[in-house]
Amino acid sequence: MKIFGNKKTPAQVLDTEPSKNSNSMATKQVRYEALVKALHGDLYRYAYWLTHDKQVAEDLVQETFLRAWRALDSLKDEKAAKSWLITILRRENARRFERKRFDMSEYEEASIMDTQSTTTEQVIENQWLRDKIAQLPPEYSEPLVLQVLGGYSGEDIASMLNLNKNTVMTRLFRARNQLKDALEKEPGKMRLLHE
Amino acid sequence: MNDNHTSDRDMPKIDNPTNKMDDLQYRRSIYADPTSQNEDVIAAQNADPAKKQLAHDLCLFDEQLKQAMNIPVPDDLCNKLLLRQTLASHQQEKRKSRVHLALAASVAIVAGLVVNYLQFSSSYTNLGDYALAHVYHEENDFYNDDSNRVSLTTLNKKMATFNGGFNESLGELISADYCRFDGMKSLHLVYQGLTDTVAVFIVPKKEHLSFTNKFSDNKLQGESLGFQNTNILVVADKNESLEMWQRAINDNITWSI
Repeated sequence: MKIFGNKKTPAQVLDTEPSKNSNSMATKQVRYEALVKALHGDLYRYAYWLTHDKQVAEDLVQETFLRAWRALDSLKDEKAAKSWLITILRRENARRFERKRFDMSEYEEASIMDTQSTTTEQVIENQWLRDKIAQLPPEYSEPLVLQVLGGYSGEDIASMLNLNKNTVMTRLFRARNQLKDALEKEPGKMRLLHE
Repeated sequence: MNDNHTSDRDMPKIDNPTNKMDDLQYRRSIYADPTSQNEDVIAAQNADPAKKQLAHDLCLFDEQLKQAMNIPVPDDLCNKLLLRQTLASHQQEKRKSRVHLALAASVAIVAGLVVNYLQFSSSYTNLGDYALAHVYHEENDFYNDDSNRVSLTTLNKKMATFNGGFNESLGELISADYCRFDGMKSLHLVYQGLTDTVAVFIVPKKEHLSFTNKFSDNKLQGESLGFQNTNILVVADKNESLEMWQRAINDNITWSI
C-alpha cells in the first residue's frame, strides 16, 4: 500500500536551520525562499480545492505568502510551517468573503484542468472525480483534501479546522461515502473502486 | 460550518476498545481513514477478508482521489511568489529609509538651529565686553613677534566690504581676517604692538550692542571710534597708547559711499 508514503512532512525539506540571528534579513530571506519552494504547490492545491478557481487560488496563495513573510519571525518550528501556512490561507480566504460577498456559483468553473502524464482514460476519470469532489459540501471536502493530499491525521485536521476529532472523522466518512455513492450510480466508473 | 444534513454526534465512537466492531462501525472507521492502524480495525480486518478487501479498495480509491486532487501547479507561481516578496520588502525598505531620511533631516535642522542660536545669539550687551572676550579667545592665535605680514592692498580689499580703506598702513599688520563679532561679519586686524599684539575690529553698527567709548579690565584696555555705519575698536595691553592708535586710524581711514 503505497499510501503510507503520502505522510511525508514537507517541512523536512526546510532543513535550513535558522541561525541564531534569525532576525537578520538574509536569514529571513533564505527561510522564506525555502518555504516558498517547498510548500507553494501544496498551498496552491489546497487553495484550489477551497475556491475551485485557479486564479483565485493563485491570488490567495500570493496573499498568504506575503502575510507569511511579514510574520515569518513568529514561525518558530519549521515542521509546523505547512499547517501554519494553511491556517493563514484559510483566514485569507475568509477575509476574501468579507471583502466581496461574491457567491461562488455552482462549481462549473471547476472545469477542465490540464492533463497530467496519465492515460486518456485516467484523465477522463480524474476529471470526473474532480467534479465530484468539487460538488461535495465544503465542510466535507476540506478535511478530505487535508487528509488525502496533505497527509494529515484526524487530530491534525481537527486542530487546523478548530473542530472536534469525532466531527472530523464523521465528515471524512461522509465525504468518502458520498463519493462512493456517486461512483455506484455510474457503473462505468466502478473501475475506480475495484481494479 | 453548519452540518445541517445530520448531526455529527450520531456516530458511534470508533476507537472504543471495549466494543467489538460491528459492520457499520467498521465501515465508518475505514471510510473516515482507510489507512487506519486502530487495533480494532486491524482485528476486524484479520477476522474478515471482506473487510480487508474493503480497506484495500478504499486505499486504491484514495490513490485515485489523490491523483484527481493533485492538480497541476502553475509553473511560474514559485517565481511570482519570490518576486512579489522581493518587491514588497523593497517597498518596505524604501519606506523605512524614507523615514530614516526624514529623521536625519529633522535632526540636522534642529542641530543647525541650535548652532545658529549659540553662534549668533548675543550673550554680551556692549561692544567693549565682546571685544575683550574676543581678544582673550584668540589670545594664543597671534604673537607679537609673528613674522606674518599682510599688505595694505590685501587689507583694503577686505575693507571694501565695509566701504572703507586705509591710506597708509597703521603699522605691522600680522593678520587681517573676517570674523564673527557677536554674529556680525567683522574685520579683525592684528597689529604688532609695543609689548603685545594690538587688535583692531571693524564692526558694522548694530543696535543690539551698545556703544562703549572706553573699556578695560586688569590686563587689556580698549577704545571705540564711532563712524557713520561702522565702529572701530582698538584693544591692546596697558602699555599701548590707544590715543595714538585712534588718531592714526582717524587720519588714515576714508569711507566711500
